[in-house]
Amino acid sequence: MKFIFGFLLIIGVLVIVPAVDFAFAAGDEPGKYLDRRAVIWNLFYKMMTVAFTVGSVVSGTIIWQVWRFRESHPKAKPTSYEGTDW
Amino acid sequence: MTLELQKPRPIWQIMFSTHHTDVGLLYLITSLTFLFLGGSLALGIRAELFYPGSQIIADSMTFNRIFTVHGTTLIFLFIIPFASAVGNYYVPIMVRYKDMAYPKLNAIAFWMIPPAGVLIWLGFADFTWYATPPYSIISAPGPAADMWIFGLKILGISSVLGALNFVVTILKCKHPDMSIGQIPLMAWAFLSSSLIIIVAIPTFAAALLMLLTDRLGVSGFFNPAMGGDPIAYAHLFWFTFHPEVYVLVIPAIGMMYEIIPRFSRKPIYSYNSGVFAFVMLSIVGFSSWAHHMYATGMSFTEKTVFMVGTLAAVPASAMHVFNFVATMWNGRIRFATPMMWAVGGIALFFSAGAGGVVNSAMPLDFTTHDTYWVVGHFHLFVMGTIAFGSIGYLYYMFPYVTGRMYNETWGKIHFVLSFIGTILVFFTQHVLGLYGMPRRIYDYPPIPEWIAMNQIATVGAMIIGISMAIFLANMIHSAGKGKPADTDDPFGLGGKYYYPFEAKNPSH
Amino acid sequence: MSGHSNWPEWIYVAVVIALMAWVGAEAWEAERLVEHVPADAKTIIVTGQQWFWTFEHEDGTKEIGELHVEVGKAYKFEIVSTDVNHSFNIHDYVVLIDAIPGRVNTVWFAPDKVGEHDIQCREYCGLIHYNMRGTLYVTEPLS
Ligand code: HEM
Ligand SMILES: [Cu+2]
Ligand SMILES: [Cu+2]
Repeated sequence: MKFIFGFLLIIGVLVIVPAVDFAFAAGDEPGKYLDRRAVIWNLFYKMMTVAFTVGSVVSGTIIWQVWRFRESHPKAKPTSYEGTDW
Repeated sequence: MTLELQKPRPIWQIMFSTHHTDVGLLYLITSLTFLFLGGSLALGIRAELFYPGSQIIADSMTFNRIFTVHGTTLIFLFIIPFASAVGNYYVPIMVRYKDMAYPKLNAIAFWMIPPAGVLIWLGFADFTWYATPPYSIISAPGPAADMWIFGLKILGISSVLGALNFVVTILKCKHPDMSIGQIPLMAWAFLSSSLIIIVAIPTFAAALLMLLTDRLGVSGFFNPAMGGDPIAYAHLFWFTFHPEVYVLVIPAIGMMYEIIPRFSRKPIYSYNSGVFAFVMLSIVGFSSWAHHMYATGMSFTEKTVFMVGTLAAVPASAMHVFNFVATMWNGRIRFATPMMWAVGGIALFFSAGAGGVVNSAMPLDFTTHDTYWVVGHFHLFVMGTIAFGSIGYLYYMFPYVTGRMYNETWGKIHFVLSFIGTILVFFTQHVLGLYGMPRRIYDYPPIPEWIAMNQIATVGAMIIGISMAIFLANMIHSAGKGKPADTDDPFGLGGKYYYPFEAKNPSH
Repeated sequence: MSGHSNWPEWIYVAVVIALMAWVGAEAWEAERLVEHVPADAKTIIVTGQQWFWTFEHEDGTKEIGELHVEVGKAYKFEIVSTDVNHSFNIHDYVVLIDAIPGRVNTVWFAPDKVGEHDIQCREYCGLIHYNMRGTLYVTEPLS
C-alpha cells in the first residue's frame, strides 16, 4: 500500500511541478519568443520517461511470468482447475 | 467439418453451402489468400525504400498504387474476413445454436468479398486507404479510383450484413439455458465489434457515395471548387474508421481470451472486467475520431475534446492486458505455438498503445503526424497485436479444421522470426518518424539516419517474409500430411473445449 | 470468475486513469503555449500546390521552393492550397500544419539560429509528393 501511495505522490508531483513551471515561463515580451521545439520535445521526453518506466514494469512482468509459470519450470505445479471440467 | 480433408467433398458443395463452418472455411481461405497477396506488396515497398533512388519499382505512381492496395487489402480483405472466419466457426457453437441466425444472408455476406477484392486489385487505385478529397476527386486517375470506391462499398455492406447476423445469433439464438453473462468472452468480442460496425459503417457508406458523385462532377460535397469542404469527408471517414480500429482489435483480443486461459490451464481472471472493457471500448471508441485531424487546423477546443475522448479509451484497453497477465499468474503454461503468438501479441500491445497516446497528446502530433511514427504505431497494432492474435488462433483451430496437427517446431520458428521482424520493422519506424521521414513517399533524400533506419526496417520485413513462407508451407503440408490430431484435446491441456466439429453439418 | 476480491485491478485502473490525466494536462498546457502567436510576428503566406511551395512575404516579395527568414524574429505562416491537401512541414522547428483548399491555417515559429533546414510536404498529394521539398534559410538580420 505504501508503495502505491508513493507512486501516486510521484505522479502528482510530475503533474503539478511542470504545469506551474510553464505557467511562469510563458513570456509575452516582444523580442523574446517561446521556443516551440523546446516545449514540444520536452514534453516528448517527459512522456517517454514515463512510458519507458511503465513499459519496463509491464514487459518485465510478462517476461518474468513467462519464465516462471511455464510448465517446464522446476517449481511448476498443477493449477487447482486441472482435472476438473472448467 | 473437422474431418474436411478425411471425408472429401466436391468443392462446389462447400462453395454453395450456407452452413456456418463451410462459410467459415471460405472466409478463412479468402482472408489468408489476401494476407499473402497484401504481404507481398509490403515486401515490394520495403525493398524500394532500402536505399534512396529507384530500386525495384519503376515510378512513383506504381509505388503509390502499391501502398494503397497494400493497406486496403490487409485491413479489409485479411483482418476483417479472418475475424468473420473465426466468428463463423465458433460463435454459433459458443451460444449453442445450430448455425448462424440467417444462414443465407451469411453466405451472401461472404460472397460479396471476392468481387470486391477483384475490383480493388484490378483497379489498383493510388489515393491511399482513406481516399481523401479533393485529391480523390480531382486528381486520382479512374477507373481505378471508381473501382476502389465500388469495392469498398460492397465490403461495407458485407460487413454490416455479417455484423447483423452475429448480433442476432448471439442475442436471439443463444441457448435458453444460457444467460448473456455466460457466453464466452470471445462471443462478447464478436457482439461488441458487430455493434460497432452497425453504428460506424453507414457514415462511411454515405461518404463513399458522395465521393463517387463528386468524382462524376454532379455534386461538390467535398470539392472546394464547387463550394464543398474536404474536412467534412475527413470527419465522416474517421467517424467510421477510428471505431473501426476497435472492430479490428476486439475480435483478436477475444481470440486471446480463448487461448490464454486454455494454455495457462486456468479460467480467465475476471470475466466481468473483460465484458466491461469490451463494452466500454465500443462506446468510448466513438469519442476520438478527430485525433486523426489535429493538423487540419482544428481549434484548440476541438483538439482538446478529441484528445480527452481518446485518452478516455485507454483504461479499457489496459484492463484487457491486466486480465491476461492475471490469468497467466500462477498458471502452468504450455508454450505451444498458439500461446506464443497470443503472449507476443500482448507484449506488443503496450508499445502500440503508448505510441497512440503520444499521437493523441496534441502538440506531440506535430512531430509524429504523417511520419513513419504513425506507420509504426498502427502496424504494432495491426501486425503486432491483431495479426499475432489471429495467427495464434489459426494454429489453435488448425487441428479442428483439418483433423491434423501442424508442425510444432516450424510453428515456433515462424513465431520467433515474426516477432523479431516485427520489432525490427515497426520500432525502427517510430524512430524514423522522429527523424522526420514522411510516410507514403516513393523516394527520399540521402540523409544518413533515414538510410540506416530504412535498411533495418527492410531487413526486418524480409525476416517476416521468410517466416510467412514457412507458415504457408507448414499449413499446406500439415493439412495433407500432418500427424492426425487428438481432436478431443489436441494440445493436451484438459478442460472443456469448444469443438467446431460438433456442429452438425447437413452435407456430412 | 466474479466474486473474488478485485482490488489489484481497481488500483491498476486508477493508476492508468491518473497517468492519462497527467498526459492530458501536460499536453493541454504545452499546446496552449505553442498556439499563442506573438503579436509582432510577421506574416508569410504559404501556398501549396502540386508539387511545390510558394512563399509570399509581407512586403510582397515571392519565393518558390526557398524561404529566407531572419534569425530572432517571429513569423506567422498562413497556409493555403490551390489544388489538393498538402501539409507544410519544417521538421527541425516542429512546424506542421495542413494546406487545405478553401481554408487558411496558421502556425508560427521563431528561428533562433542561422542555418538551413528542409521543408517538406507531409500529406499525400499525388505523383511527386515524395519530392515536394524546399529549403528554409535562416539568415542574419539585414538591418
Ligand atoms: C486498438 C487498436 C488500434 C489500431 C488498430 C489503430 C490503428 C491506427 C491507424 C490505422 C492509424 C493511422 C491512420 C492513418 O493515418 O492511416 C492510427 C493513427 C492514430 N492512432 Fe491508432 N490504433 C489503435 C489504437 C490507438 C490508441 C489506443 C490510441 C491512443 C491512445 C491511438 C491513437 C492514434 C492517433 C492519435 C492516431 C493519429 C496519428 C496521426 O495521424 O497523427 N490509436 N491508429
Ligand atoms: Cu484513431
Ligand atoms: Cu504532398
